[in-house]
Amino acid sequence: MKPRTRREFGCLTGAMALAALGPRLAASEAKARVVVVGGGIGGATVAKYLAASARMIEVTLVEPKPHYTTCFFSNLYLAGLRSFESLKHGYETLGRRYSVNVIHDSVAAIDPAGKTVELKSGPKLPYDRVVVAPGIAFKYDALAGYDEAATEVIPHAWNAGPQTKLLRQQLESMEDGGVFVLVAPPNPFRCPPAPYERASLVACYFKQHKPRAKILILDAKDNFNSQDLFLDAWERHYRGMIEWLPAQFTGGIKAIDVRERSVKTASETFKAAVANVIPPQMAGQFAQQIGLADQSGWCPVDPTTFESKLQPGIHVVGDATSAGDMPKSAFVANSQAKACAFAIAASLTGSARLASHLFNSCFTFLAPDDAVSNAISFEPVAGTIKIAHSFVSKVEESAETRRRAAREAEGWYDAFTHDTFG
Amino acid sequence: MRQIIAVSIAAASLIILADRSQAADRDGGAQLAALCASCHRPDAGDRGIPTILGMGPEMFTRAMLAYRSSERPSHIMHAVALSLSDEEIATVARYLAAPNK
Repeated sequence: MKPRTRREFGCLTGAMALAALGPRLAASEAKARVVVVGGGIGGATVAKYLAASARMIEVTLVEPKPHYTTCFFSNLYLAGLRSFESLKHGYETLGRRYSVNVIHDSVAAIDPAGKTVELKSGPKLPYDRVVVAPGIAFKYDALAGYDEAATEVIPHAWNAGPQTKLLRQQLESMEDGGVFVLVAPPNPFRCPPAPYERASLVACYFKQHKPRAKILILDAKDNFNSQDLFLDAWERHYRGMIEWLPAQFTGGIKAIDVRERSVKTASETFKAAVANVIPPQMAGQFAQQIGLADQSGWCPVDPTTFESKLQPGIHVVGDATSAGDMPKSAFVANSQAKACAFAIAASLTGSARLASHLFNSCFTFLAPDDAVSNAISFEPVAGTIKIAHSFVSKVEESAETRRRAAREAEGWYDAFTHDTFG
Repeated sequence: MRQIIAVSIAAASLIILADRSQAADRDGGAQLAALCASCHRPDAGDRGIPTILGMGPEMFTRAMLAYRSSERPSHIMHAVALSLSDEEIATVARYLAAPNK
């Protein structure tokens, strides 16, 4: 028998007092309650692991959409190498197999004093702990001429969904010889290698279907993630097709002209046949609204429990966090979510608490049979999270190693989405 | 007599400790195995990444040590094997081999 925490004891006392009202009500009163806001990778993983690891915890997941569409691997869809359907994952298994109470609604507010989550449709859900996983939002005011309405003409496609489909349609109907302009965002942003993977895989599509087309990357930065690997691959697979212009060359991105489909930089204006603008980013809107984000726009968290440093009792996981050296990736969201779930389970039920193990691993496609990988382990150090070990693919790797990584990447997607959504 | 009592108390507390540590070992094993599940399907699906279910503790431990020393190459497994202590590797090996998780 595990030692009872004070909270559990308190719940049991409550249950005994309510026993006269009926056994069902009493049973539900005995459980600690966790509400998870947001059903992306971080939110779904927290919900699943809390429900699976502690039967004494009742888990509710609030997510407005019926499906989650993964941003990772959506570049393969843009290149025509994967179906859109294969990126979609539902919440049915979380409900059926893990008894997570999934509510398709939005959250209006959290009351930390009363410990309730208020849904847009009215009801208030009482909680012992709440986890917020709001993902990213876009800083539209940082790019003149680009806003939410503009995404219907020039998509960012940085949350996978209708915009991803729109971008694919635009690429398909683009004439051969046209220029695809991709605007890459400043740090930090979701999935550091992804804009360059997108350029690589769109080049792969052009090479086959529109061999005279060009790709121009206008970057807000002067260097980018895994730059040597990308530059080497572009030379080997897509010679003369991809041009990358750093901020120091263009003087920086100044404005987007949606009607002209052009991007104005400090030095020159570039006209596009198809444009993809990936705007500067910050923590999801809900995190901003309830005061979880600091001046940086991201949410500072405790490095072991992922409890907000600004709002005690509220945990934050995933891209929205400012978590030391951890990049914003699906793998990191999943890794943080497990650490957070075990910390919450330990404090609510007294289950064993281990040292944190935090990881990131990413597969990046340079071409369909040429993938690279990286792996990083992290450790909490002095209130933040530092890299412990980091390993990345090398330029001189054999073609066979790259082919094997591409095969492993497919297997990883299958296992990872299964780990997250059941 | 006093000695016998002392021995029985010691034995009883050992049993309690063993009981508690068994539960803690299972909790710890489950938490560590959760790390594996980010890439290895626990229902034995095997598409590109090998399954680890049904691996005997010895084979599992040997593989982890080979990844730690880079004798077997893999970015992610090298990072994982360096992050886990010998004791943690033993815990997850026992957990993966145990029936009725």
